Amino acid sequence: MVRLLVLVSAAAFASLFHTAAAADSGTRHTYEFGADLSYINTSGYPSWTDGSAGKLRFDNDGGRLLISRAFVDYEMRLTDTLNANIAADFYDDDLGASVDFTEAYLQWRPLAISPNRYRLKFGAFYPRVSFENTDPGWSSPYTISSSAINTWIAEEIRIIGAEASVSRRPQALGGAHTFTLFSSIFYKNDPAGALLSWKGWSIHDRQTRFGDILPLPPIPQIQPGMYFQRQDPFVPEFREIDGIAGYYVGAEWQYGSRFSMRAMRYDNRGNPTKFEDGQYAWGTDFNLIGLRAALPGDIGLIYQWMGGLTLMGPVYNGTHVVDADFYSDFILLTKSFGPHRISARYDRFEVAENDQVPLDNNSEYGHAWTLAYKYELGKNTALMAEWLSIESYREAWQYFDLDESKKERQLQLTLRFRFGSHR
Amino acid sequence: MSRFVSTAQRYTCTSLCKSDGKLMAFDSKIVARAVTELGVFLTLLMLNSIASAASLEVSVLDRSGLPVPDVAVYLQKNDGVTLLAAPGTTAVMDQVDIKFKPNLLVVQSGTSVIFPNSDTVAHHVYSFSHPNHFKLPLYKSDTQPLVNFESAGIVILGCNVHDYMLGYILVVDTPLFALTNGNGISQFDVEIGAVDTVSIWSPRIKDEARLLSKPVTLDEETNTRVVFQLSKSLRLAHDQESDALLWSDY
Repeated sequence: MVRLLVLVSAAAFASLFHTAAAADSGTRHTYEFGADLSYINTSGYPSWTDGSAGKLRFDNDGGRLLISRAFVDYEMRLTDTLNANIAADFYDDDLGASVDFTEAYLQWRPLAISPNRYRLKFGAFYPRVSFENTDPGWSSPYTISSSAINTWIAEEIRIIGAEASVSRRPQALGGAHTFTLFSSIFYKNDPAGALLSWKGWSIHDRQTRFGDILPLPPIPQIQPGMYFQRQDPFVPEFREIDGIAGYYVGAEWQYGSRFSMRAMRYDNRGNPTKFEDGQYAWGTDFNLIGLRAALPGDIGLIYQWMGGLTLMGPVYNGTHVVDADFYSDFILLTKSFGPHRISARYDRFEVAENDQVPLDNNSEYGHAWTLAYKYELGKNTALMAEWLSIESYREAWQYFDLDESKKERQLQLTLRFRFGSHR
Repeated sequence: MSRFVSTAQRYTCTSLCKSDGKLMAFDSKIVARAVTELGVFLTLLMLNSIASAASLEVSVLDRSGLPVPDVAVYLQKNDGVTLLAAPGTTAVMDQVDIKFKPNLLVVQSGTSVIFPNSDTVAHHVYSFSHPNHFKLPLYKSDTQPLVNFESAGIVILGCNVHDYMLGYILVVDTPLFALTNGNGISQFDVEIGAVDTVSIWSPRIKDEARLLSKPVTLDEETNTRVVFQLSKSLRLAHDQESDALLWSDY
């Protein structure tokens, strides 16, 4: 009831703000408020958000009604070419009920008469990875949960630094082709890899905020008297530990609004042997390929592949004490019929550990199906239904007396509210 | 003389009327010019009464012989004369659903193109295409900025807020232009002798530019038909309406 009151008052506030801002005909403010009122029914292991080892965001509790997410995404135009952007999320789950920021950055989009188009971002923001999370608040217009790849990006990856890009549209090719090179330098992403190794891949809709600290499953080696006993059971994701800057570089080719393809390499250049205040630095790098296309029959296709390596701790028997390769890919197909949209996604994921540290086998593999239906009831509301099934084999589950093979399922029905300057 | 217009009607209204006003001031140069212009006007009038219209059908077919719609077709006379649009001539390039509408607009050089914004979001329209490059300030639907295009050429439009927006304006030195219809055809009624070249353009066409113009001789007796059979495959229509994916900058 309290949650419903919170939602109703948030919606009332949003519509008031919307009316007030609409009266100002200027173009300075762009914003969107969102709230997802959800009924969620899960069947799986106790959730990682509860400090356990399950892959879903919510525990089994016979179904619950809650505001699964609320957010505000706001952009203020400082000049015609300089914007300030912030996004903040409200969550109410086993990690607590709180509001915090997910992104905050300045973007400069200079407009020089030149064949090159330059962009500069400065602050805290998502790297250019996801082709799914294109709506305000880094939401997906297709599904409620993000793919395994983009769920991990939301959990552990954020750029606190700068990104520069340059694009060209060669006139000789008709002008519809855009080629972009982008590059970033960042700090404060040293713990990235901890959750991927010790918890594994997940699929959900929760994004880590700047102040969040995320629980690790109670794995044996972080317990007192064990190898990694210095590791705090809670991970603050956005911290600098070794003082070394990370980078990503990539390239993208886009054809109008029909097709685009992207390749990038991310490396946080973490020094795995550095340790500070209960937290190891993780040396995490990955390569990524992404593709999206409007297929004949107006079917949308998104494909992303990621493969990388994460390292932690001193070298023991020829490898770092955590030395794990990780892979994931997914394919998403989507089609809309007027106000209706149906989407289907198939994810595959794997962690393959190379080190031989006992009682710390983080290897896993699995796959997942996601089916989603969205019905736009009006410009401010949509009804969504999502069925999610993750089938995985994870070695570490045996440490918690759980079967290493598990099929986790979730049904989520969501009434999605959106208010914004552009609606 | 290069600013002289193509139709006798405009000739009468602008040049002659203007000269008329100045006659009162007994400016000898103006009088001389008016007399000359009157002479040219009468000659044109005579020619006009002699010349008769012929019909011209231009058809564009793709590599496999299927008609290609929305291709710009324009007719010119290669006499080095630039035919500017009458002052005050306007055309509209709107922005609807974060797309330029129409995707391809053809105008005569000298035309002022209005860029309304029918979206609720702001747009920031520019073009880097030489020599018609321009940039507008960021604006919403409350303003309708205007750009005058003096020089013939292709103007590729972009929006600095929505990098994936793409539109085209083709500026031509002739008032005789059209887009092919759903059957890949454009039809014209033209004075015999008024044009000697027919050209086509579309951002989807990959064929060499020299293959996109053809000489044409109009004959009173027959309906002339010009066919452009393209030899290279077409580029995908990048602007084709598609709800398949929702695009953004992330």
